[in-house]
Amino acid sequence: MSPDSNIDTLMILYQQGDSAAAAALIDRVSPQLYRFFAAQHGSRALADDLLQDTWLRIHKVRHTYRPGEPALPWLYAIARHVRVDHYRKWLRNTAGERELEIASRAAAPSPDDPGRKDELDALLAPLSESQREVISMLKVSGMSLEEVARATSSSVGAVKQKAHRAYEKLRKSMSALGLGKGESGLS
Amino acid sequence: MKEEEIDHALNKAAQTPLDLEPELLKRISASLQTSLRPVRPLPPAWMVTCGLILICALISVAGAERLGFAGVEKMNLLERLLVFPVLLALAWVMAMRFVREMIPGSHRRISTGTLIAMGCAALLALFALLFHDYQITHFVSIGVACLITGFVHAVPAGLLGWLLLRRGFAVNAVSAGLIAGALAGLAGLGVLELQCPNFEVAHLLVWHTGVVPLSSAVGAFVGWLARLLARAASR
Repeated sequence: MSPDSNIDTLMILYQQGDSAAAAALIDRVSPQLYRFFAAQHGSRALADDLLQDTWLRIHKVRHTYRPGEPALPWLYAIARHVRVDHYRKWLRNTAGERELEIASRAAAPSPDDPGRKDELDALLAPLSESQREVISMLKVSGMSLEEVARATSSSVGAVKQKAHRAYEKLRKSMSALGLGKGESGLS
Repeated sequence: MKEEEIDHALNKAAQTPLDLEPELLKRISASLQTSLRPVRPLPPAWMVTCGLILICALISVAGAERLGFAGVEKMNLLERLLVFPVLLALAWVMAMRFVREMIPGSHRRISTGTLIAMGCAALLALFALLFHDYQITHFVSIGVACLITGFVHAVPAGLLGWLLLRRGFAVNAVSAGLIAGALAGLAGLGVLELQCPNFEVAHLLVWHTGVVPLSSAVGAFVGWLARLLARAASR
């Protein structure tokens, strides 16, 4: 499997049961998905869990991918579903023992767990969850507005508006921190 | 601060590598490889859409066959030429959206709720423009009977539609239920238009058109229940 094969091709081969394509797809997409989860939650341990859940879900519903359609929005729509599902479960069970454990893992990462915010997390911190989601898809995954709209089940106009508002917030927060071109100062 | 500067800061931060453990990727890969086999993709969207339309048409005709065709027989040519093509066009739009709801990452221009609201508005406008009997006779008793008839026929249409798309994956079960209900409601409305000879405007606007939002609401509720059950099962 060529490492240059594009994600859409890998997805088609994965549907056809090609194990090399499956492995290549996991290698290609996981860093982006991991970054997506980490940017939302700030916890590496939680991002690990969500990444594994996402691949299990992708595997289960891989027949719903349509050859010829862009694969990245399809993958992100499922990743987003897993994240929202987890969030709802967390809300419902915040009093439960298991969720307290997860919450504590998210809130107080150990020195071994690089849960401290990295540069991107810190930059995106002032944004709302939906704005972080859109910016991380646009900037980290390099998706187009159309692809982000597909992944988030919304219109291109709504994505543009969220991105615009996010940039306004970023402009204010970065100006307040006195950040300029060439140095983010957050590392 | 300029937009390019924000872009630059974001791009720079995004390039910072995250310590994603290679072991984790190997573990994920190994767990998927154990059950990796070829899968058949869903049929083309147009084919499933045609299937859904066929189900709705069959339910409407079968319902009217049982209850009679008094409605369509009372309509003049213009009414027939407008009411049924509009119903068909709306069913086509709703069916396409239902198919999209069952495929993650599908293209959407407007939200499902807005689409259904626009469909109902189109139906209200059609009935208001086409029919001019402004009498009100036994508004509630006759109306509720029509609403129930429409809804009773919407239920099998919804179930069959769901059966046809059972291999799909709704990332938003409530939204999928909403549109499935709206499509099923159009099948129920089809039965009423074929069968009901009551052309009072108020009756058509409230009780006939009302089948669509009622079915949509029930569909959304079923979607919500399905999501709860799926979560309970995964615990």
